Amino acid sequence: MEILRNINRRKLRSALTVLGIVIGVFALTTMGAMAEHFNMLLDGGVRWFGSSIQVGAPDGQAGILSLSKIDQIRRVEGVEALFPAYSFTVKPGSVSAVSLGIPDLIMSRDPDENAYNALKTTIASGHDLGADSRGQVVLGSSITTEFKKKVGDTIDLPVRPHDARPDFVNHTFTVVGILDPTQTAPDNFAYVSLTDAQMLFKESLPVAIRDTVDPTTVTQSITAYSRPGASLSELDRIADRINQQVSGVKATRPSDVVNSFKSGGATFTAITMAAALLALVIGGLSVVNTMFMAVTERFREIGLKKAVGAHTVDILREYLLEATLIGLLGGSIGYVLGVGLTNLLNLLGRSSNLQLFLVTPSLTVIALGFAVALGALAGVIPALRAARMDPVLALRTAN
Amino acid sequence: MADIELVELARHYWQGRTEVRALDRVSLRIGAGEFVSVVGRSGSGKTTLLDLVGLLLRPTSGKVLIDGVDTTRLKDGQRADLRGRRVGFIFQQYNLLPTLTVLENVLLPLRYTKPNVKNGRRRALELLELVGLEDRLKHRPDELSGGQQQRVAIARALINRPALVLGDEPTGAVDTKTSEELVQLMLRLNREEQVTFVIVTHDLELAATADRTIRLKDGRVLSDEPVEHAA
Repeated sequence: MEILRNINRRKLRSALTVLGIVIGVFALTTMGAMAEHFNMLLDGGVRWFGSSIQVGAPDGQAGILSLSKIDQIRRVEGVEALFPAYSFTVKPGSVSAVSLGIPDLIMSRDPDENAYNALKTTIASGHDLGADSRGQVVLGSSITTEFKKKVGDTIDLPVRPHDARPDFVNHTFTVVGILDPTQTAPDNFAYVSLTDAQMLFKESLPVAIRDTVDPTTVTQSITAYSRPGASLSELDRIADRINQQVSGVKATRPSDVVNSFKSGGATFTAITMAAALLALVIGGLSVVNTMFMAVTERFREIGLKKAVGAHTVDILREYLLEATLIGLLGGSIGYVLGVGLTNLLNLLGRSSNLQLFLVTPSLTVIALGFAVALGALAGVIPALRAARMDPVLALRTAN
Repeated sequence: MADIELVELARHYWQGRTEVRALDRVSLRIGAGEFVSVVGRSGSGKTTLLDLVGLLLRPTSGKVLIDGVDTTRLKDGQRADLRGRRVGFIFQQYNLLPTLTVLENVLLPLRYTKPNVKNGRRRALELLELVGLEDRLKHRPDELSGGQQQRVAIARALINRPALVLGDEPTGAVDTKTSEELVQLMLRLNREEQVTFVIVTHDLELAATADRTIRLKDGRVLSDEPVEHAA
């Protein structure tokens, strides 16, 4: 109680100190939420690309592969499953110079692929695509919110650009299923069946060659899998073998993709965390300052407490507790403000597919833990100084 | 009650290059239940004597024995415990904690000596009644007059039923009338609670009410004699 009253005693100064911590933890929470969101995105990429081998046309060639390559790759040792893969942008012609998220994509989906890939998707409502379904789509969670769809609604894909050419075509798909959020790429995907993907693929080809191609014999790329749970180095070796044994294709080593994801994530996390920690350290210094002032102001109180029997540890405990409480108070306010702001921004960003923040339990623990630890740490030196004071000196100080 | 014995007690400190003998080999004995005043000019060593007896300060040499225990051999923690349980302090500037109420201020020493808290509360109420502040329990120190604050401090000094109460100019900051009331209060507590009082003072009237006056000069005992009270 006395501690709360002491904090209350110098209201303006306590408020400013708490504000310092508030700003620090606020920065930590928002920056951290941004980093957490980004890391979840990257983690999805790591899981997806770390469990599959992407096979495409050789470097420098247009993205068309003969489906017959599938049979050749299947013979490579270690390959267990292969899926033709197609992807198209949901919003052709839209301009986005800088993107902090994953663009909305139409992807081909074979329900069997889930068994092989480490990044699993599960149906939240409705049902999955059948092997030969036509005109049906399964939507990721973000794209569902963005287009405000529910199971049974229809959606025209790709979305007609506002300046569409007369020969632009799209198709009406019925939403049959919606996926659970993954906090990563599949949230922004609209999944169609292989047959529908081949139809879209044909329409995406230049007019000059469009009619010469049988869409059932070609694919944009192929995703190859080994047994589920195969290690990254095993997959790398399989990719090498594909490149050696199958001509006219280029298999990318999964570790190359994973490493690029990881280094990107590390840089981003480092930048955001450095900014947040800086803010927090400044907040911490304000606690140090306040506690030093408090100790100086209360020399006589410290002396008196010692005179009536307080041990060094008693004084130490009281001052540490006060500093910790300031940290906790500021931390809680900063955290609540941070969560409020990130939620608000995510809500505002929904319609434009801009989800930048993710507040995770670990972030909560880190933000509050840091605030408390910082408060305590900032209180240590002033508290030690208070506790070690010579009682006579403390008592006879004029103030 | 406490029996205090000072043996060749000295406390020196350095002021620049000069060694100052704040207290210079003082030996004396204060018996249980005595009411002793210590007088002398500023710098005579009165406060140093009080700080040494109150275990707030360690002597340069010599001993402070409280009930036969050589306190100079005790560790800091043990001295703090002994101070908390056996010694009460009254200061010129009261030294009440401004954020605590009257009752909480009186209870403060119990926070560190941790006896039976329920009994402690009863004791605090009893003492506050004794000093005439039973209707000011929830007040803050800044809502009280100087005399009232000093009475709170006196109650606080007695909360742990100490054997010895040390007063450092306890009447130095109040007017004459209040001073007289405080002196009467301390005398009464000395009789009723059987507590030894050692009071450092400039106040000759206060000194005159004591059983015994010790006069210090330049860190040495100039005189030590019983006070003749008019019958």
